[in-house]
Amino acid sequence: MATAKKQPILEVKHLVKYFGEREILKDIDFTVEQGNVISVIGASGSGKSTMLRCINLLEMPTSGEIVFEGKNILDLSNNIALYRTKVGMVFQSFNLFSNMTVLQNCMASPVTVLKRKKEEARQIAMKYLEKVGMEQYINARPDQLSGGQKQRVAIARALAIKPQILLFDEPTSALDPQMVGEVLGVMRELAEEGLTMIIVTHEMAFARDVSTRVIYMADGVIVEDGTPQEVFGNPKNEKTKDFLARFTQNA
Amino acid sequence: MAADMPTTFFGWVVFIINQYGSALLQGAGVTLMLAIVGTLIGCIIGLLVGIVQTVPVTERTNTGLKILNKIVQFIFAAYVEIFRGTPMIVQAMVVYYGSMAVFDIDMSAMLAGFLVVSVNTGAYMAETVRGGIISIDKGQTEAAMAIGMNHFQTMYTVVLPQALKNIMPQIGNNLIINIKDTSVLNVISVTELYFASKSAAGVYYRYFEVFFVTCVIYFIMTFAASRLLRYFEKRMAGSADYQLVGDPMADPTGIFPNNTKMGGK
Repeated sequence: MATAKKQPILEVKHLVKYFGEREILKDIDFTVEQGNVISVIGASGSGKSTMLRCINLLEMPTSGEIVFEGKNILDLSNNIALYRTKVGMVFQSFNLFSNMTVLQNCMASPVTVLKRKKEEARQIAMKYLEKVGMEQYINARPDQLSGGQKQRVAIARALAIKPQILLFDEPTSALDPQMVGEVLGVMRELAEEGLTMIIVTHEMAFARDVSTRVIYMADGVIVEDGTPQEVFGNPKNEKTKDFLARFTQNA
Repeated sequence: MAADMPTTFFGWVVFIINQYGSALLQGAGVTLMLAIVGTLIGCIIGLLVGIVQTVPVTERTNTGLKILNKIVQFIFAAYVEIFRGTPMIVQAMVVYYGSMAVFDIDMSAMLAGFLVVSVNTGAYMAETVRGGIISIDKGQTEAAMAIGMNHFQTMYTVVLPQALKNIMPQIGNNLIINIKDTSVLNVISVTELYFASKSAAGVYYRYFEVFFVTCVIYFIMTFAASRLLRYFEKRMAGSADYQLVGDPMADPTGIFPNNTKMGGK
């Protein structure tokens, strides 16, 4: 899997994040290559979400580097908004714009940020809404949709900026159990198409079956980083073993 | 003449309406104009001040902008505190007579009236807008930023439309307050409804009857404003249901034919 020659598209180096006095992330290091589907697992409070939010700068890292396409985006000269169009994000709580319809949600970025013409933006939006199976609902407002439908629209909205990496922050954690499947199905399809994704998740089966790599985090550090077979089948660290044992018990 | 004078309360009311009806209505017109224009301009001022007050300052903001931001914030905070913290009747006196005494500007009473109402409303609206903006779920802002919007785009396309909808009742509140409170402008002899009523009442010394009529006119104006705003609020809320768009896979048995109304609350 890990072909050393491949140029990584994202490198996180010595990432440290403090919230006040509390050190949430302690020296995080990892690289993402084109086409990687990385699942980040770990207990609540281990820093998974914070790390993900640091990657697209919704949280400003306290120190460290985030190198995207060879440039450290934490350099003040870099345009954060432009960078964010290349790194999309899907949130746990969907965060669809509640003043817009489903279609407008997906057209917002092509029109406002990428300055596409309305008609072109509509085509882009429709293409991705079809991909997530929500093309029938373009006139609905977010509060009229179920959780699973909202998350699928949110994925379409994120895809509409044609990101090179898509970040998922616990995309199924706020969903009723019967709706988890439809969202994971869409994500699985994206993974098969080769989209680079980083997924913070508690869905162990999904992490095991779909990812090309699994990262286990605990207390703000990366404890384990390897293929699903390595991390799930043969964890090296005691913490990972404990964590996975608890999960298989519950499952 | 004296023999023709009415003797009952309603007699007087009818008499006053006949004699001074048009003067009172003219006053009501001025009141309404002051209130509507004042509220509109006040909303614009409030919107600008409220937006500037919620501009985020991060580690990445450069030092010059940070200092500029501090200065502007101080000025706006002072503006809000001073105009919320002093009575409008006093502001009217200070602006009208002060502009003459200090700046040698001979402002018409009417212009001073517009100015005072607008600036006063602006101070209140600034706080309302600020509250409206910070009440919008942070997730909305984050989602907008995550798809590459800058602060201005986020505000314009996502936050403000939602905040404005939420503060509509407060805008209505301000309009109603302004319809009533422009009465204080009589101290600088703006011929609004209260001023017109006082003049009319003074002629026959029929204060109760005249101000009864005035009362009714004020109430009609505020009640109409209140209903009108409620109507706009409803329209802004949008329809409760939505239409599914044609689906080639739709159930051919017609249980769920295309374009049936679905969903809604």
